[in-house]
Amino acid sequence: MGKVVFSSWAGKTVDNRGLGVKQHAYAEDLGLPSGYDHTEAAAFMGWDGFVVWDEKVNVVDMVHAYIKEVQKVCCGECMVGYIGITVLADTLARILDGKGREKDIDLLQWLANGIKENAGCTFGQTAPIPIIDSIKYYRDEYLKLIKNKKAVPKSNYKVMVTAPCMEACPAHLDIPGYIQLIRNQRYRESLSLIRNGVCLPSVIGRVCTAPCEEACRRTQYDGRVCIRLLKRYVADWEMNSGLTPSSAKPRKSKEKVAIIGAGPAGLACSYNLALKGYQVTIFEELSVAGGMAAVGIPQYRLPTKILERDIELIQKAGVEIRLNTKIGRDLEMEGLWKDDYKAIFIAIGAHKGRKMGAEGEDNDYEGFVDGMKFLQDVNLGRVIEPKNRVLVVGGGDVAVDCARSCLRLGFRDVNIVYRRSRVEMPARKAEIEEAEKEGVKISYLVTPTKILARDGKVIGAECIKMALGEPDSSGRRRPIPIKGSEFVMKADMIIPAIGQQPDLSFLPDRNQIKLAKQMTIETDTTTCQTSGEGIFAGGDCVTGPAVLIDALASGNRTAQSIDQYIRKGKVTQGEDSKLESAVKGINLSEQREQEIVPREMPQITSQLSLKKRFGNFREVENGFNTEAALEEAKRCLRCYRVMVWLPAK
Amino acid sequence: MVELTIDNQRVRVKKGTTILEAADKFNITIPTLCHHENLTPLGSCRLCTVEVIVNGISKLTTACTFPVEQGIEVRTTSQKALEARRLAAELLLAKCPTSAKIKSLAQEIGVAKPRIKVREEDCILCELCVRTCREIVGRQALKFINQGLNQRVEPRIDFLPDMCIGCGSCAYVCPTGAIKMEDKDGTRVVYARNWEKDFKLKKCKVCGNYWAPEEQLEYIRGKLNLPPDFFDVCPNCR
Repeated sequence: MGKVVFSSWAGKTVDNRGLGVKQHAYAEDLGLPSGYDHTEAAAFMGWDGFVVWDEKVNVVDMVHAYIKEVQKVCCGECMVGYIGITVLADTLARILDGKGREKDIDLLQWLANGIKENAGCTFGQTAPIPIIDSIKYYRDEYLKLIKNKKAVPKSNYKVMVTAPCMEACPAHLDIPGYIQLIRNQRYRESLSLIRNGVCLPSVIGRVCTAPCEEACRRTQYDGRVCIRLLKRYVADWEMNSGLTPSSAKPRKSKEKVAIIGAGPAGLACSYNLALKGYQVTIFEELSVAGGMAAVGIPQYRLPTKILERDIELIQKAGVEIRLNTKIGRDLEMEGLWKDDYKAIFIAIGAHKGRKMGAEGEDNDYEGFVDGMKFLQDVNLGRVIEPKNRVLVVGGGDVAVDCARSCLRLGFRDVNIVYRRSRVEMPARKAEIEEAEKEGVKISYLVTPTKILARDGKVIGAECIKMALGEPDSSGRRRPIPIKGSEFVMKADMIIPAIGQQPDLSFLPDRNQIKLAKQMTIETDTTTCQTSGEGIFAGGDCVTGPAVLIDALASGNRTAQSIDQYIRKGKVTQGEDSKLESAVKGINLSEQREQEIVPREMPQITSQLSLKKRFGNFREVENGFNTEAALEEAKRCLRCYRVMVWLPAK
Repeated sequence: MVELTIDNQRVRVKKGTTILEAADKFNITIPTLCHHENLTPLGSCRLCTVEVIVNGISKLTTACTFPVEQGIEVRTTSQKALEARRLAAELLLAKCPTSAKIKSLAQEIGVAKPRIKVREEDCILCELCVRTCREIVGRQALKFINQGLNQRVEPRIDFLPDMCIGCGSCAYVCPTGAIKMEDKDGTRVVYARNWEKDFKLKKCKVCGNYWAPEEQLEYIRGKLNLPPDFFDVCPNCR
């Protein structure tokens, strides 16, 4: 953070003015954004105060620049916020133009305090705080400007607007924005805002892990805002109304881009590039597009027609998808360059199951099926003969999806065995609970060591009990086998689902594209470039198995990089991602003033009744009806955080 | 039932009651502008601001939107509340200095003349029209569009002519006269500063008077499943 001239943040003040640089105290523990310091920024202002690194900074000018940005975000729904902020901006502009009067300072203070006390949302209540601070600590600067009666030059500031939920979202969706549009029943506009960051809104409205909801500040009062279901509501509204999004005609560009893999990352990248006018072709090995969303998520969580519709809209935007085309089998990657593709994006996902390390797992026993293969068979409608007793090995979402699918297929006795305890289980809590409700039995602290078979058919597994030791690199406690605790679990089928990795066998030259230790593709994290010229990679084949929204976000990022690469011949870290890293280390949830929030619990949706879930793959979760969606949308506190930086000279 | 204190009175009201409704029940008057008892509260004008003390923390809130909670203390005439109301009234008056309704409300609250200047407009975005059209009439001919991050719009109320049936309810509830309605020579015009729509009025077969817009009568006829000739005669002659 470095030495500061002045800082007032979150109610803490450091005042080194007039002391000379050598005597300036450090301000390490202020909880400020760590990305910028005195070497890059001369001053910073945000919702909870401001910092000055350079004595020469004109604080009033910074306040004005800040409030101008605040004004753009202010929604207009409460008059104290809307008119008040307008008057603040006008008054500050007047002072900077040399036309201020002394009583303007009182006016600013009166208004800023009034807005802080009585604006309709959290954004309105927090936004004036730096103004109040500036008047408190830099009143002389105001007076000087007013007395000089001369217009002063305005500086250019860097701007960032975010919110705790937006920052938690890998795609940084404008969550308060689209929720408010729902509240105003502007569903079309809401959805188009969502599509700016997420090209699969109906899909993500169903299966997103919703890190935004965990970051929601409403959690500290009565419960999170159901952001995911609100997104689903508008997406479903569009579909049920028979509408299609109105897409602007992009400028046409002749440049071609090849994308390997039609999963979420590939689709997101293709959609964004198509909107920029590129000719995009996706090569997909399978007979369906969607990647993991198509063959890795069972239909009771994500019905096929939902996914198909989102993909259809992407195709309408100008993306060509060639199914049943495997690079390395049907086409060579090198050949893509000859076909005049200017850039390649590898987004093949991670579909290859990891080995358990159990004896006999490579013996091709009948009834021994990898989890990914199993889900693929289920989703593609291949016939699966229900067995009596199945063991699903693993504790992630894939394991739970396999188990719940087995129940729906008519398997009688469905068991999950997991080598750690419930606490460490990486699958989503709600999914585990639903699985148990449906009758899945989970054995914890157990792992198979040997697959037992008779006449080439699985009859069970020899298992060993585990105890938990010290935390490993993943931060979870390491399972340690208990000697002599071996026992046999009978089963007609065993489905290992202990993790996946990308199948990179198609890569032409291993030396050309560097791989990471975990047998994933190594890329620059911000630009998504691989070590191969013009070759980019993203999604699960870079991160290992991750969640859908991460893949979408990496596809979005890559589209920006590829656009830069084709236009300029190189990729530089954009200002956006620089600002993005600048807010790392700042606690966006914190603010000096706590709001009072009347208790209104989140809306709940109904679920398909238990007895209707067997023998079919009907969707389990229902969406919000209009009434519930509007009620839920009202709950958003609108915690937008506006920040401005003055770059160092 | 929920127990709370309003202006030193201990009162018991039904759960879900707003502060405004609770105060009204005990004859405590709080000024309002964007509130209407038959519409969803919005809290836009901020004139009904009251001071609320929750767990020892004093805060301001709008009485129309805040549902009562057990044990809270509400002060409707504290210095803090009155100051906030004056600020809200002053801003509204600056925006809309010619509206009789706002002038009289501001005067009541203690603001005679605003000390600030803003771009004057007749619409204060209170959304009474939007809510009436949606919740009472059952149409959505008026819609609020909010400003927001990267949205590049100014907050405003949009008019969707295809949805409008010319009933004029919006003009009736508009507190500032931003929406107006005139009937003349068999035509009704509903209009605001930047939009208008003409409606052909229906002539009564008996008395020959024009009595309501045809589109509105058609809408009602459809809703109530009435015979095609039902509105040929006006209610006075029926």
